[in-house]
Amino acid sequence: MSKPTCLVFQTYNRLAELIDSGVLTHPRVKRRAEDLLDLLKDVCTGSSGPNHLQAILKSVATILIEEPEAFSGEIKRIVGEPLESHQEVFVSHIETHNCPTGDCDFLTPAPCQMACPAGIDVASYVGLIGEGRYAEAVEIIRRDNPFPWVCGLVCTHPCEFVCVRGRIDSPIAIMNLKAFAAERAVSERTYKNPPKAEDLGFKVAVVGAGPAGLTAAYYLALKGYRVTVIEALAQAGGMMMVGIPRYRLPREVIDREVAFIEELGVTFRFNTRLGRDTTIDQLRSEGFQAFFLSLGAHAAMDLGIKGEKDFPQVIDAISFLRHVSKGERHIPGKTAAVIGGGNVAIDAARSLIRLGCEDVLLLYRRTRSEMPANEEEVKQAEEEGVRLSFLTIPVEVLGADGKVTGLRCLRARLAEPDEKGRRRPVPVEGSDYVIELDAVISAIGQRIDPEGLDSVTDLHWTKWGTLIADTITSATSAEDIFSGGDLVTGPATVVEAIGAGKRAVEGIDRYLRGLPQPKMPPVPSRRMRAALSEVPAQTKMALRRPEMPFLGPERRRITFQQVELGYDEATARQEAKRCLRCDICKRCGKCVKICREQMGIDALQFGHVDFGTPGLTDFRITAERCILCGACAANCPTRAMTLEDREGERVLSLCGTVLCREKLETCHRCGAVVGPARYLEYVKKRTSAVQEAFAGSLLCEKCIRQLTAQSKSGITIP
Amino acid sequence: MSDYYLFHDSAKCIGCMSCEVHCKENKRLPPGPRLCRIETIGPKWVGNIPKVDFVFMPCYHCDRPWCVAACPTGAMQKRTGDGIVFVDHNLCVGCKACMRACPWGAPQWDPEKGKAVKCDYCLDRVDQGLEPACVAKCVTKCLHFGKPEEVVDARRMRHARAMAAMATEVTLRQPVNGPKAKPMKPKRKQAQDPVEGS
Ligand SMILES: Cc1cc2nc3c(=O)[nH]c(=O)nc-3n(C[C@H](O)[C@H](O)[C@H](O)COP(=O)(O)OP(=O)(O)OC[C@H]3O[C@@H](n4cnc5c(N)ncnc54)[C@H](O)[C@@H]3O)c2cc1C
Ligand code: SF4
Ligand code: SF4
Ligand code: SF4
Ligand code: SF4
Repeated sequence: MSKPTCLVFQTYNRLAELIDSGVLTHPRVKRRAEDLLDLLKDVCTGSSGPNHLQAILKSVATILIEEPEAFSGEIKRIVGEPLESHQEVFVSHIETHNCPTGDCDFLTPAPCQMACPAGIDVASYVGLIGEGRYAEAVEIIRRDNPFPWVCGLVCTHPCEFVCVRGRIDSPIAIMNLKAFAAERAVSERTYKNPPKAEDLGFKVAVVGAGPAGLTAAYYLALKGYRVTVIEALAQAGGMMMVGIPRYRLPREVIDREVAFIEELGVTFRFNTRLGRDTTIDQLRSEGFQAFFLSLGAHAAMDLGIKGEKDFPQVIDAISFLRHVSKGERHIPGKTAAVIGGGNVAIDAARSLIRLGCEDVLLLYRRTRSEMPANEEEVKQAEEEGVRLSFLTIPVEVLGADGKVTGLRCLRARLAEPDEKGRRRPVPVEGSDYVIELDAVISAIGQRIDPEGLDSVTDLHWTKWGTLIADTITSATSAEDIFSGGDLVTGPATVVEAIGAGKRAVEGIDRYLRGLPQPKMPPVPSRRMRAALSEVPAQTKMALRRPEMPFLGPERRRITFQQVELGYDEATARQEAKRCLRCDICKRCGKCVKICREQMGIDALQFGHVDFGTPGLTDFRITAERCILCGACAANCPTRAMTLEDREGERVLSLCGTVLCREKLETCHRCGAVVGPARYLEYVKKRTSAVQEAFAGSLLCEKCIRQLTAQSKSGITIP
Repeated sequence: MSDYYLFHDSAKCIGCMSCEVHCKENKRLPPGPRLCRIETIGPKWVGNIPKVDFVFMPCYHCDRPWCVAACPTGAMQKRTGDGIVFVDHNLCVGCKACMRACPWGAPQWDPEKGKAVKCDYCLDRVDQGLEPACVAKCVTKCLHFGKPEEVVDARRMRHARAMAAMATEVTLRQPVNGPKAKPMKPKRKQAQDPVEGS
């Protein structure tokens, strides 16, 4: 199986070959081709700017118009044609400095960035945190996600699952670092909005003030659109505000970040429900020219069991959590069961404890290992007193006088895995039993409530009840309506909603300006090449992912106070320095291979790089074996590996990790640097069989040459 | 040594560096590496006449080359057949061991390729029956390329001693593989035995 080749890289190589082949005999054509090659090289190496595409097009056009067919024909074939058929690939290279195929060495993105649904340039912001530059870190995050603080507290952090440092010990605490930087920047008042573009005059309406809608509003406002957000509830935030409990995400955090969006001139119409208080047509007549629908998935799935609808103490978790977050702090009963094994179930159970329930039982059909909820949170729930009951299937809500009295359940066992590997719970005949309780909270899933959208014709829906929107442009089947977030994906995550909001802005922007829509899904942008922090190999290996300090369970049981206490500054900066900077080292393994196979030294033990080097990574081993020849650095395609002479030492570093450093010997005649002793010794050993050339004093190459020349000359200089 | 012999008639050399320029041009080298060099000696007052001497320094294509021994990758090779010492860039990894090993500073660094480059007598040209680029474009025709007359071991020995004498701190032990270019001016100082000199 061949991996996809990068068209830009291929074009560059073909042109380079053409020039090298000497076919372009006319000096002017050759010069023009070389200039064009330089421009393409900029594109492949991330040094291209906004004017590069124009310059390339112009350069090709000039050659095609002014040069003889014999030469221009070739250039047209090699550069002109790919540029015409796949211009978006060139544009994407220029705009994002990202080459997803990995062919353009300098543009290979880090896996963490590729895994982030909002495409945050993780490695760069982590690098900035390591240097104590928190405001800049926040600025980098906010280019892709206007909610660094929120996401720093509640993101599902898919980035950490792919983090390369995880192959060595444990992933970088990417999420916690984000929260730290945001909190710092807010507290130091260096958290700022970027400058806004000139007013474009277009009015855009965003319906639903959840993360998807708010993100769209933010980037639209930055681009110069006049944005109005229509929201059914009395405050912004969506599920972040009325779903996620405040002990995980304090309200102030959402408020602060929403305030930055308001600051850009975005207006909010609260307590306004689409379909009841206003309609799309009404908004169209108000002059709105494009719409972004982000209504989320606020309806709960039914348990479908007897008695479910008969008692007020049977509540779905979404409504329950919404009530709690809006200030209704009554327990639904002294003893309560939560049905479900996901994060929402855990949130409901932990909220019940905090409200004062005496006994909270979580019922799940499968076993602990199948639970979709975050493991850490399950553990915390247990610490707080939530009891877990696995392989339990509720079958009937029992009650009397309009009040719940119990829940009849069946025991279950897990069947053999089906073709998808999922093990279905099978009820065990006759295993009925009754749990006595006062309230039941069902948390078995959410769905989209299409109510507000009934009036909008032209919309197409999937059979699962989600709205159909284009994955690239976010356009729905109605021309001026775009959509994203839970409404399109079904219940998902905050960061996916943010990613969707950001993508939609591109689509809306192009729609309103009348520009053609892209055909390829966008790739994340590499925002910078942040400076590398220097860390000794010892430290790099010894550092461990810090534990997040938590509020004690005894306090957690009685208040909605934030559970995570956050890192302190020293901890955060140290953790940032554990990062391997995979935005710079693309883990091609060339260095390892050369050192081991060609040099025969085997000083680089990088098990984490991809090329068949199973085993551990240990940066400390290098110093024991390395001769500081620099072959690894000379062959590193990304300049991740560097060999530097400074302050009388030769230093080999990988992305700032100092692997080996040795004192430099100097020429006894002129004082020029000759090399470290172990390198000289290596060469001496290898050549000793020939004949030792010089013994005694150490001379540099230049002096050797001069002395030879002098000795060969008739004139001698004493 | 190779089958060839590159002879520089220093008496005719005017130090115009054409050889260096054409070498680089032919090999398309970036700024930095100079595969053959004109080393300028002097000016030095000999009586009341200022004298300048130009010494042409290519690679000497030693009999038992240090560079080849030093190279861990087998990139630096001595061609069987005619003994030309050359680098195979497919194998070179840029460890610079050859540069350090050569007693005459012949191998050079190509910063663009990150590999060693060195004088290979332009073996591609030689194979086509042409002279090396430096020889072909020498303005005063003071460079000559061809098969050597008898190897004069004594001459190399003399060079070695002389060299040791120039820099007393250098001890040159039996440089059996020394350069073959002949010192042009016969009036040289009495060379000292290197062992005594140190
Ligand atoms: C209890 C719970 C905990 C969660 N925990 C996490 C977590 O830890 N991490 C994580 O990443 N994700 C979590 N999620 C999921 C996450 O909150 C959602 O995926 C995300 O908020 C979806 O964003 P959205 O913008 O698409 O929709 P929403 O956030 O749902 O926002 C939709 C907004 O539209 C408004 N609206 C709806 N209908 C109308 C209408 N007709 N007119 C006007 N306005 C309307 C709603 O009031 C709401 O404000 C959790 C969800 C729940 C329920
Ligand atoms: S080590 Fe750093 S750059 Fe690499 S994946 Fe982890 S966070 Fe990203
Ligand atoms: S440091 Fe090694 S693995 Fe990383 S990019 Fe350079 S050569 Fe490849
Ligand atoms: S002179 Fe130097 S480079 Fe030339 S063959 Fe001898 S050791 Fe190698
Ligand atoms: S630099 Fe290249 S030719 Fe020289 S010793 Fe190293 S691998 Fe061999």
